[in-house]
Amino acid sequence: MPKRRQQPDASRRNFLKGAGLVGAAAAVAPPVAANAMPAVPAEKLKAALPGPRHVATETMPPNSDPVNQSSSGGDFMTDVLNSLGIEYMAINCASSYRGLHEAVINHGNNKPEIITCVHEDIAVHMAQGYAKIEGKPMAMACHGVVGLQHATMAMYNAWCDRVPVLVMGGNIMEADKRAPGAEWLHAGVDIGQIVREFTKWDDQPASLQHFAESAVRAYKIATTPPMGPVFLALDAELQENPIPDAESLRIPKFAPVIPPQGDSAAIAQAAKMLVEAQNPVIVCDRVARTPAGMANLVELAETLQCAVIDNAGRMNFPSRHPLNQSFRRAMIGQADVILAIEMNDLWGTLTHFSDRINRRSRPAYKPDTKVITLGVRDLYLKSNYQDFGRWQDVDLDIAGDGEASLPALTEAAKRLIDDGRKSAYAERGKKLAAAHLAMVERSKTDATIGWDASPITTARMCAEVYNQIKDEDWSVVGTSIRLSWMHRLWDFKKPHQWNGVSGGAGVGYNLPASLGAALANKKHGRFTLAFGGDGDFMFNPGALWTAAHHKIPILYIVQNNRAYHQEYMYLIAMAARHGRGVDKMDIGTTIKDPNIDYATVARGMGAHGEGPITDPKDLAPALTRAIAAVKAGGPAVVDVVTDPR
Amino acid sequence: MKKFKRIAVTALAVAALGVGSVSVAAAQDAPQGNAANGKRIFLADGCFTCHGRSGQGGAYNGPAPILAHTALPFDGFKGQLRNPSDDMPAFSEAVLSDKDIADIYAFVQSLPGPTSAKDIAILNN
Repeated sequence: MPKRRQQPDASRRNFLKGAGLVGAAAAVAPPVAANAMPAVPAEKLKAALPGPRHVATETMPPNSDPVNQSSSGGDFMTDVLNSLGIEYMAINCASSYRGLHEAVINHGNNKPEIITCVHEDIAVHMAQGYAKIEGKPMAMACHGVVGLQHATMAMYNAWCDRVPVLVMGGNIMEADKRAPGAEWLHAGVDIGQIVREFTKWDDQPASLQHFAESAVRAYKIATTPPMGPVFLALDAELQENPIPDAESLRIPKFAPVIPPQGDSAAIAQAAKMLVEAQNPVIVCDRVARTPAGMANLVELAETLQCAVIDNAGRMNFPSRHPLNQSFRRAMIGQADVILAIEMNDLWGTLTHFSDRINRRSRPAYKPDTKVITLGVRDLYLKSNYQDFGRWQDVDLDIAGDGEASLPALTEAAKRLIDDGRKSAYAERGKKLAAAHLAMVERSKTDATIGWDASPITTARMCAEVYNQIKDEDWSVVGTSIRLSWMHRLWDFKKPHQWNGVSGGAGVGYNLPASLGAALANKKHGRFTLAFGGDGDFMFNPGALWTAAHHKIPILYIVQNNRAYHQEYMYLIAMAARHGRGVDKMDIGTTIKDPNIDYATVARGMGAHGEGPITDPKDLAPALTRAIAAVKAGGPAVVDVVTDPR
Repeated sequence: MKKFKRIAVTALAVAALGVGSVSVAAAQDAPQGNAANGKRIFLADGCFTCHGRSGQGGAYNGPAPILAHTALPFDGFKGQLRNPSDDMPAFSEAVLSDKDIADIYAFVQSLPGPTSAKDIAILNN
């Protein structure tokens, strides 16, 4: 019979007795590795062994250092953020900025409103989508090392997309203030280093006044075209400790930079070239940074009655405007003058490139075509990442914000247009309008092919969705790769109806960025919807929980082709080039076996879920139910199993 | 031979724009193909990935043309598969036999082309 085990005595006396034993043993025990297995079982003690801290608590007089404080640096930081009108701070909570986090909640009364995200990539992408609708930055906060490492790809997307985001990461600058363990792992000498190649500016303030000035400076730099993300490292001591001298602190005055207009002589020269051209063509990408941008571009195009090819980086030009020739890119080959405004990839737009064994390229325009550029993109570039694209020869390169410069360019053109030209322009406009109309009709006809097929064609999917949202004040803020049917079939005409794509083509953008845009649209009462690929969805499905938690209404349609489809096609091309195995290229490129049930995933996150929809007849009723859920104030996901493109 | 290639490329360009999707004469000179086997190959070898299961067209690096009831003559169709004019992958004899191509051609010819958009109310919003 085993010996009866003695019950431990947890009385204070024994607690201290145990401590004494431990202390004595520690004094005489030989040094051994902390995790070494003892050869002989240790003597059973009567009480749990207290550590040195417990012993000190029992035996030492109280500490003399303060345990409460009436102010914190985080309070002041909160005041600075609020002075800039920042509405939201998307976060994934982390101890290195716990001082700011607590201050925003209690001192700021949750202003900026904290948006809880389950990944830093989601938080930054939400800020990117938000800024493109609201026209101003959202703040984002994360752990300064590991959190920032998570955030980097989203920051790169924002950089390539020229979108302002204020990213903040916690750090503990002074080594002697770091606790053992994670605080050393999560601290750095220069934590901004990993994002410096794709941020406009960064700093690590060493005092509260320094923070105030750097925060305002960061905001100003981020919102000055060409816009982009900025980063601030926030010292934990600075956030958490009392404000040493509140009277000396001052929140700097913020005055936004007025975006620069192009040089007046250069604008006049551009106007002359455009007015005298037989076939001027405008190409554009990120022109509209405010609701005025689209109207400005429409006025110039109508003044010249010229073709507009919109790369749709922003809501630049109405989709059904007669001068919209975006799906007639052969127009570039007929142009004698090309005006390129705020282009992201001008060389790519003006070039035929062959993705073959021998990679070749040739201009898409005639040798004597004159190219004018207007924009600010190239005024701030960096070296490592090659997002600036290939060199493009131009004839007149005007440094100036596109949207801000358009009124002057239009006025200069109007002054040069006489009655004879007006008549010729009208004829030109009629031809373009007829071509546009034919393109629209052809799109409708093309959309009928496979209308009742399963998997559902992307044309049918887009037509069904539009049929149900067309009378709303809709805003479509996300799309899947190469999904063009919206712009072919829908009537985009309001500035908030489109906000472009990821910028850096970094997958995982679409769902969280759409939610950020939906958050911005919410207070304006708009109906937000987005399309997104299944591959993209699976990078950040946790974003749906954020949408449900914060009651962000959005209709999110998963274009579920059960593949990383662009890569699937690329692998087939590789296999065909090598003359082998084209029928095995689903390995590593498809998302099937098992198929993912996105509606169930959505419901698991607290969102409404519909699908998978495989029969086109089931799509309309599912959309109706999902739209009702969105109007009730939350997110809804519709999983549409589609043909690839 | 050069003349033939020019015709093939031109026809493809027209198809790429979605014009002239239906042709009565296109298949007249085509070898007899097995449409059912053509469908199998079309799906197994990934033709659908760019051109759609219904031959409705799609996108690769650029627009991928509509193939449903294509207007492209068989020789032009085969020429495009063997030595494409654009970024489309080239399918050699080792990957697709002439018989396979004839079968695929028979399949895409069997696909219904577009119908009138006027008959579909939601396409007229």
